[in-house]
Amino acid sequence: MALLEGLGLSKRFGGVKALDQVTFSVEDGAIVGLIGPNGAGKTTLFNLVAGALRADSGKVVFDGQELTGLTASGVCRRGVARTFQVTRPFAAMTLMENVAVAWVNSPRSEGSGDWHHAARDYLRMVGLENLAHIEARHLNVVQKKRLEIARALATQPRLLLLDEVLGGLNSHEIQQAVDFIRKLRDDLRITIFWIEHVMGAIMGAAEKVIVLDQGQLLTEGPPHEVVRDPRVIQAYLGD
Amino acid sequence: MSAKRFYLFLLLAAGLFSLLPLGLGAYHMHVMIVGLFYMIMASSWNLVAGYTGQVSFAHAAFAGLGAYTSGILAAKFGLNPWIGVVLGTFTAALTGLAVGVLCLRMGGIYLSLTTLGFSEIFRIIITNEYEITRGTMGLQVPGLVGEYSKASYFFIMMAAAILTSIVTYRLIYSNMGLSFRAVQNDEKAAASLGVNVTRVRVLAFTVSSALAGMAGGLYGHYLLLITPEIPSLDQQFLVLSMTVIGGMGSFVGPIIGAFSLEILSEYIRAYGEYHVLVFGLVALVMARFAPNGIVGLASRHLMKAAAPAEPSPAAVNS
Repeated sequence: MALLEGLGLSKRFGGVKALDQVTFSVEDGAIVGLIGPNGAGKTTLFNLVAGALRADSGKVVFDGQELTGLTASGVCRRGVARTFQVTRPFAAMTLMENVAVAWVNSPRSEGSGDWHHAARDYLRMVGLENLAHIEARHLNVVQKKRLEIARALATQPRLLLLDEVLGGLNSHEIQQAVDFIRKLRDDLRITIFWIEHVMGAIMGAAEKVIVLDQGQLLTEGPPHEVVRDPRVIQAYLGD
Repeated sequence: MSAKRFYLFLLLAAGLFSLLPLGLGAYHMHVMIVGLFYMIMASSWNLVAGYTGQVSFAHAAFAGLGAYTSGILAAKFGLNPWIGVVLGTFTAALTGLAVGVLCLRMGGIYLSLTTLGFSEIFRIIITNEYEITRGTMGLQVPGLVGEYSKASYFFIMMAAAILTSIVTYRLIYSNMGLSFRAVQNDEKAAASLGVNVTRVRVLAFTVSSALAGMAGGLYGHYLLLITPEIPSLDQQFLVLSMTVIGGMGSFVGPIIGAFSLEILSEYIRAYGEYHVLVFGLVALVMARFAPNGIVGLASRHLMKAAAPAEPSPAAVNS
């Protein structure tokens, strides 16, 4: 069953067609990869789903309900959380407070009372517990990406949109991160929709991959089929 | 600052302040009363500018709205000034809510633009509606207490300042305050985590406007004569300077800024109205080189003194 569906999504920026009639689905409980060359429209697609941008046409359906037209905040409250490709920490707030913002605003938090316990749990999940009380501006890039994941999880989503969380990691760390994301999906029973440039990682982790090229859906399917698709190879390597 | 420490600190400060009427003459009491008025103004302005990142230029106008609502009701209709102050507070709150709902949805600079216009329009109306407000001549209003004494007004203004401190503290350090600061730090990230950015800003702006209305109402009944000087942009920029110089986005910054600038401006009163200009320039320089104001400078020096080699948390391997 599809948890998330995009139906004929289009978005223009001036004269540029960033997305053109893209239709896709993300199955409940799956890890679905979203790949494509630079400028393919991957982040634009995420922004449309997350309510950060409004589609020119088409609609987004989540769990049978339409998300189109909701604000970013409204989409999050429905159970869709995201991370940003270029991280956006609350720089002058501590890591605990960063996570707490997400937790206290989630309609799924039981009671709106003390957030300290919950915030610490989420930081522990991503291995940042020992930095809980420093301000987020002190973190390095990799730590900031982890913080984004902790914050997103603290909204207690059903669907997590990950935008290039593996950047800056070495191959050993990438393997650890992939294991971590799989474990997240299994332990928290969430669905993951994941943009990634590190092809090896996404091919190993995802059950399905969606390929975008120049704003259009190129193909979708199981990773091992997609990588053999001549159109995909051409899109990446050029003519 | 933990809640316990805050209330202890507040109690201590109130206790010390209560001793002032014993030792100060009428003039110095006046300076303290005006200082308390500016403290309320700066603290409440900071709630919006410092904590949600939206700059309002109508804070003095809201004080004027409170002062004139209460003043006109008392002077023309014989209403009890205390009830007038409460009504003035509500009028300012409702007007703030309306302006907030209209402008804050749009984000960006729209609140600044609208409030700047609102502020000037309000001042012009007050100046020209001579029949009701007596224009620049000023409207004589009754006092809050039967027998006029600086000490009683001092305690009234102090009670209002304590109320303001408690309201702002509770907002900033509540779950709502987390959202305030998140919006100030990064609006888009806050929205992506479920923070209703518009609602947060409207709430902050409404509370802030209400506090300004209350301060203005009390101030008017203290001065016994209200003029369009109260809702003027001069006053607005004075409050802005106090907050920026003291330390925007910190709890004690506006308090320090309000008292130090009020006391300072008494000393340089002889040079005319240029002090607002000078304060504005100082605020500009501070905003560029010490964006966290006096409080930021002080805490940086204190931290350096406490730990000469600041460990870089970024270097901590996790």
